Amino acid sequence: MLYLVAVLASATAFGRGPAIVASIAAFVAFDWSFVEPLHQFTVADPQQYVSLLLFLLVAAVTSQLAAEQRARTAQALDREREAVILADIAGLSAAADLRASLVAAAARIQQELDVAAVGILLRGQPPVIAPFSADVERLFRGASSAPANALSPGTAASATAAGRTGRWVRVVSPLPRDERLRRRVHSVAIDAGGAPAGSLIVLRRTGTAPFRATEDRLLAATAAQVGLAEDRARLRDEATESEVLRRSDQLKTALLGAVSHELRTPLASIMASAGSLRQKDVTWSDAERDQFHESIEQEVKRLDRLVGELLDLSRIDAGHLVLQRQYHALDALVDDVLGRLRHTTEAHRIRVDVPEDLPPVSVDYLRIDQVLSNLLENAVRYAPPGTLIEIAGRVENGALRIEVTDEGPGVAGEDRERVFAPFHRLERGDRGPVKGAGLGLAIARRLVEAHGGRIWVEAGPGRGARFVVTLPLEAAEVPR
Amino acid sequence: MTEGRARVLVVDDEPAILRTLRTNLHGHGFDVETAENVRDALAEYDRARPDVVLLDLGLPDDDGLVLIRDIRGRAPTPIIVVSARDDDRDKVNALDLGADDYLTKPFSVDELLARIRVALRHVARPPVGTDAVFEAGDLRVDLGRREVKVGDRGVRLTPTEYDVLKALIANPDRVLTFSMLLRRVWGPGYTTEGHYLHVYIARLRKKLEADPQAPRWIVSEPGVGYRLRTDGPRPGSTP
Repeated sequence: MLYLVAVLASATAFGRGPAIVASIAAFVAFDWSFVEPLHQFTVADPQQYVSLLLFLLVAAVTSQLAAEQRARTAQALDREREAVILADIAGLSAAADLRASLVAAAARIQQELDVAAVGILLRGQPPVIAPFSADVERLFRGASSAPANALSPGTAASATAAGRTGRWVRVVSPLPRDERLRRRVHSVAIDAGGAPAGSLIVLRRTGTAPFRATEDRLLAATAAQVGLAEDRARLRDEATESEVLRRSDQLKTALLGAVSHELRTPLASIMASAGSLRQKDVTWSDAERDQFHESIEQEVKRLDRLVGELLDLSRIDAGHLVLQRQYHALDALVDDVLGRLRHTTEAHRIRVDVPEDLPPVSVDYLRIDQVLSNLLENAVRYAPPGTLIEIAGRVENGALRIEVTDEGPGVAGEDRERVFAPFHRLERGDRGPVKGAGLGLAIARRLVEAHGGRIWVEAGPGRGARFVVTLPLEAAEVPR
Repeated sequence: MTEGRARVLVVDDEPAILRTLRTNLHGHGFDVETAENVRDALAEYDRARPDVVLLDLGLPDDDGLVLIRDIRGRAPTPIIVVSARDDDRDKVNALDLGADDYLTKPFSVDELLARIRVALRHVARPPVGTDAVFEAGDLRVDLGRREVKVGDRGVRLTPTEYDVLKALIANPDRVLTFSMLLRRVWGPGYTTEGHYLHVYIARLRKKLEADPQAPRWIVSEPGVGYRLRTDGPRPGSTP
């Protein structure tokens, strides 16, 4: 019985071979110790042979069963590991950033299979190689494009560099002739959307056994996942692009509607005034004539300004805006704007809090002048006469922060984003409608963003609005 | 001017157009009141009781369409919409709500004055009764005897053709939208059957107009409706 336990134990622990050896040893030991005549291998009673044989059989069958069970357990563990890796890779490849997920997938495979390097080479994408080395990249590029002329003879030149990167890159001779190296490279094709899209390539470490079915399966499944990820990313890009097109189309339609309205309104005044002047059935007084002329002049100016703003907007949106950046001091810029707008702002009280020692900021002077003028004109337009408009500047979080605060009706939370949309105008309560096409803030936002800055509106300390502009201070570029 | 001191209420949020129209209309013998939003316009309407309202649709506090509805709830004062919106749907909406006419900005002041006069004449003229005789140029319709004549030529109309003509005659010089005409002639269930109307208008033109391709009486307002013109072709346009 004790012998049987020993056989069983060896079967479970070491597999079938050792178990059979153990059972034969047990048989012999049993024969020697317990079967008459004792201490001899001869068996006196033929019946004892039967029991001995039975003993051997039991040992063999038990060991066989135990070994199979062991193999199955190992297989199940392999499968489980495979499933976990695949699930992880599938999770990675579903991420929004294709490149990041490819890098993560390659690193994961490299670690799991314990191979020298893993590469994912997709058409139209820079190769992903973990861990990266120029030699492996060359090797993989060769393996993915055409195995026949995989590496150019130039590889030899990189031998010294290769020596530094790790033991597996001793790829001194060109790949096609190096049978041993070639045997370490495994390549699996990646299909995306039914067409070949690239390859998943693995370089085994030297001296490791060729891949078993498990590894091959894992690589094939990974390649399929990468293909799906690539497909998904492409579809996502296409969807984004068509969404962008649709939105820009929508915006253009809205813009066209607003533009035609904004153009027709001054045109109506011009046409009515000009038509009045032409009428012969009424004799207009000089004052009346002057009034018609003045209307025409004013509305023509308004049209001209509108056209200028529209051109600005379309120029910026088409990417034709070229900033003429130079270093300028904010206090001087603010002084210039206030000087130019002194007639516009004369009904309001203006307070300036811009220290002279602020660091100079790299801006297109005219464009930032335009932004500040727009903000100031806006404040004048919305805040009642006699109220305070404050312009403040300071450095905050590595950026120049400019604030224009008024004591007008303020901007409600839901409008704080909308005010920057073209043709959006706010009511100003009981003070009647506000003139202007509603392009000033849209242009200001584009100009500030072109400078790498931000612009937004928040609640002022009272009930007014505070427009905030931040412009990045690139410390490294400041002339010393 | 012949209008006397008719009172015009101009509702627009553009100070420039208000100023110009005030001066011009005043020069043409009208009393002019102005308002810049729907709320003020309604108060001004109740206070001044104007003879005609010129209305811009895009007002700061509300849509001008609201004002049409509110005025129609009070009195049949003619309302001429003067708007930069030129979408047919806006015109149809305004007319269906009870506006009398629609002018798109920019407009000629002469055209505006002509439309104001038509609107005032429309108010002055007693409603067309069943025994009245309608005359415009050489078109003569005896509503009592259901007789239609162009010059000396008698015209035979089918009952439906006659009903369409009668609907137009009841509102001379006014744009009637497709749905208004369909409702009056065929009933409320037919307001979307525009093709009925096109067929009968075409037949009417064939029987009444000297040149059905360039109608003198029954003119189209594209995308909006039809108008029966009583003053014949305007100077400058080809008959």
